[in-house]
Amino acid sequence: MSSLKELAELVITGDIQKVKDATKQLLEAGEDPLRVINEGLIPGINEVGVRFKEGEMFVPEMMMSAQAMKAGVELAKEKIGGTDIPTAGKVVMGSVKGDLHDIGKNLVIMMLESSGFSIVDLGVDAPVEKFVQAVKEHKPQVVGMSALLTTTMPVMQEVIRALDKEGLRSKVKVVIGGAPVTQEYAEEIGADGYAPDAGTAVELCKQLLN
Amino acid sequence: MDKFRSNYDEQVTPRLTWITDAQLEQIHYASLEVLERTGILVQNQEALKLLKEAGCRVRENRVFIPAWLVEECLRLAPKRICVADRLGRRIMPLEKNRVYYGTGSDLPFTVDIDTGERRVSRKEDVSRAARVMDYLPNYDFIMSYAIASDTNPCVSDLHQFEAMTTGSSKPVIFTAHNAANTEALIEMAAACVGGEDNLRSNPYIILYSEPISPLVHTNDGVGKMFKCFEYDIPVVYTPGVLAGATTPVTKAGCITLMNAEGLAGVVMAQLKKKGAPIIIGGGATPMDMKTTATLYGAPETSMNYAIMTQIAQFYGLPNFTEAGCVNAPLPDVQAGVEAAMTIMLTQLEGCNLVHDVGYLEGGKTGYLPFLAICDDIIDMARYTGAGTRITPEHLAVDCIHEVGPGGNYMGHEHTFKHFREEIWAPRFFIRYLWEQWEARGKQTPVDLALAKVREILAGHQAAALPEGAAEEMQAIIRRREAECRS
Repeated sequence: MSSLKELAELVITGDIQKVKDATKQLLEAGEDPLRVINEGLIPGINEVGVRFKEGEMFVPEMMMSAQAMKAGVELAKEKIGGTDIPTAGKVVMGSVKGDLHDIGKNLVIMMLESSGFSIVDLGVDAPVEKFVQAVKEHKPQVVGMSALLTTTMPVMQEVIRALDKEGLRSKVKVVIGGAPVTQEYAEEIGADGYAPDAGTAVELCKQLLN
Repeated sequence: MDKFRSNYDEQVTPRLTWITDAQLEQIHYASLEVLERTGILVQNQEALKLLKEAGCRVRENRVFIPAWLVEECLRLAPKRICVADRLGRRIMPLEKNRVYYGTGSDLPFTVDIDTGERRVSRKEDVSRAARVMDYLPNYDFIMSYAIASDTNPCVSDLHQFEAMTTGSSKPVIFTAHNAANTEALIEMAAACVGGEDNLRSNPYIILYSEPISPLVHTNDGVGKMFKCFEYDIPVVYTPGVLAGATTPVTKAGCITLMNAEGLAGVVMAQLKKKGAPIIIGGGATPMDMKTTATLYGAPETSMNYAIMTQIAQFYGLPNFTEAGCVNAPLPDVQAGVEAAMTIMLTQLEGCNLVHDVGYLEGGKTGYLPFLAICDDIIDMARYTGAGTRITPEHLAVDCIHEVGPGGNYMGHEHTFKHFREEIWAPRFFIRYLWEQWEARGKQTPVDLALAKVREILAGHQAAALPEGAAEEMQAIIRRREAECRS
């Protein structure tokens, strides 16, 4: 019989099957699903975040840990039924229209998920209306936009203007990123923040929501 | 002496062969299997239609390419593409083992040589880099280097081309936003060589376009390529990857995937137009699993290019790789090591077009003095690659006899005759003894390179454009700008 502490350790090792098995065992033994999440799975992934930042763990290891955690959370959710699982916040993320590159955005999504955020992924080549629609529908706390090309950067400003026009701008924090994007540009177009890499993006979202 | 081919005189060594023919075949077959089994995503309607009509299995925009079609298209693709300069001289034949160097395109940031500050790149940076490379002897082609961020984003590619081709008469590899801008840019180039017919017979521009890994061929990426083939303009169609993120992390897996993407490009190109001049290869860089940075200055990257160049030669197609692009943020010891290692290897591998030379911070920041230093590194690599002459004159037995035991060679005619060829002389690397160095103000290679860059920018002028070309280019840019607005 695994303990919650052992479950956290299994998340750190990134063994999806073992995390599933241990979660099942705990739930079958009558452990509270919310405790399994909050005192087993989440502390495990939090430790992964710390070790990644220290340079002790690497992206693929973090990725496996995140997948293991998600698999565990899914099982716990089934037990809870309709109850909402508390998350660190909801983020709508997309690469703006004209940009077909998604590796940077995907990295940010992966790291946000690992930190307990729930994500609505708009994919690549996302037009302005898609961002607006997603904000209306999902009511996120944060909108994240990514652009690799300088030609698509102006679309980020269009999204901010559209959110403003729809009266949604004050309801969300807007963060932007991508190789040619700078802090100055973020200020210029009226974004709330800029992150030069995926790790910083997570810290930025946490800061903005506090 | 030929500076482009390693060991032109001896024709024996040093040439780098990385894997065996049997291993090359394994990669080839693996790539064919990817195309036939996994297939590719094609977002360009014209390409989709061509592939379907040629016999590919098509499910919506997923295309499965049979091996026979790949082999057929490899047979049609030209084995040799001769590229000219703006003056119509056919100076850059892309043939097996001829290595040409140039910078890359679209750096978002530049370290300003006047202020020493890192700032967003401007059109002036494109122009400056073009002039510096026009002057430096080891840059054979140019790319935009920087992004013209201070111009209208709809036509920034056209502004970059204007700055490049005005600042240098060397061959240009350009990037463009879409098919319409590609056509406008071709029109601009035609204006610089006295018309479209001259451009077709002696193309001095090459498009850089790319699939997006894994296995996605976009509407713009393919559309730009097709537009060029309508004008007989050669195209580099190569992915830039992050191994471990957009390709398998294993080197062989990364190469297999990139090769499959390149072969898909060859197929689409030949279906569009038989004999379409396509160049394969790509940026085979791993992702740093700590920082997520793209690892340009890494050993894996050079190792991948060794194999990719061998594959291109196995197909008999011209190829495009990269070297001299470093992860170091500043031109320091790390930058020198990364640049020298990668440039040396590409020279020995025999890659055709080696781009991104002189880039810092993993291809995000430019600093012109480093571009100049890399010219010295290329010079050193080319010198080494030229090989060692073994002739009776060079074996120098008569000279050894004349000097005899206990003499010296400093005043001998044989030394006088050969020393310039037999001992390489750098322009920026320091070789003074300490006191000599101190007496000259303790200047570093970067100091010397910076002084040289300033001198070039103050004094060097590229060959003039034909009369009216500058005005015509500006009119084309204005026209596209108006079209973008409407």
